[in-house]
Amino acid sequence: MVERKTGTVSVDLSIPVQADLVVLARLAAATVASRAGFGVEDIEDLRLAVEELCLSLVGAREDGRLHLNYECEGDSITVTCIYETEGVAGGARGGDADDLSLRILDALVDEHGHADRDGRPSAWLRKRRSDAAV
Amino acid sequence: MDQSFKIDDEVVDGVPVVSASGEIDVATAPPLRDRLQALTTSGKSTVVVDLLGVTFLDSTALGVLVGALKRCREAGGDLPLVIDEPRILKVFEITGLTGVFPIFENVRDAVGSVK
Repeated sequence: MVERKTGTVSVDLSIPVQADLVVLARLAAATVASRAGFGVEDIEDLRLAVEELCLSLVGAREDGRLHLNYECEGDSITVTCIYETEGVAGGARGGDADDLSLRILDALVDEHGHADRDGRPSAWLRKRRSDAAV
Repeated sequence: MDQSFKIDDEVVDGVPVVSASGEIDVATAPPLRDRLQALTTSGKSTVVVDLLGVTFLDSTALGVLVGALKRCREAGGDLPLVIDEPRILKVFEITGLTGVFPIFENVRDAVGSVK
């Protein structure tokens, strides 16, 4: 049984935008969610959702940095991702991948969205534990 | 790159079968795309993709598979997938792709469907 750590926890992670480092974003998500007592299914959903959140910002680009914040409060985790780049942000992957990414986020998290923060593109998601009382 | 990611090729009853294992994400999808492109551009209109060993799959991987499916169908063939892991099947379900790809639980049935 996983012991649930209560209280608010905030974790920050900053990674260079490189394809083989995006795995770190989902590893951190899994760790924070596990610590908060999320079940295996919820953790797997969150891992994939965080991957898609990052991809929705950087597309196929490999420059700049992603700044992620994982905030666990009560029964939910909020992940905020800010893309810092000197170039023009965006970089959609094109084809079917962007539409598929949006469908995955819609299905796996309770809320998600995009917003600019000080001129930097950012995206966020919120996921509640599926066994949390409504 | 994820060290556990691996692609294998074999021919089963005359049908090319590409087997992937490990995590297919933005870092590991390109080798799978290249392998499928090599097969479809060399005249193989039908390729079975065995995902039995896959433990994680994102939208980049789905995009690679959809692209390969389009090329196969344009050539008169198909791209059957082999999936038995509910976690992986769920990704296809939530994206509506279970109605697009023929999906089988084992390689034998997938190969049999195109012979």
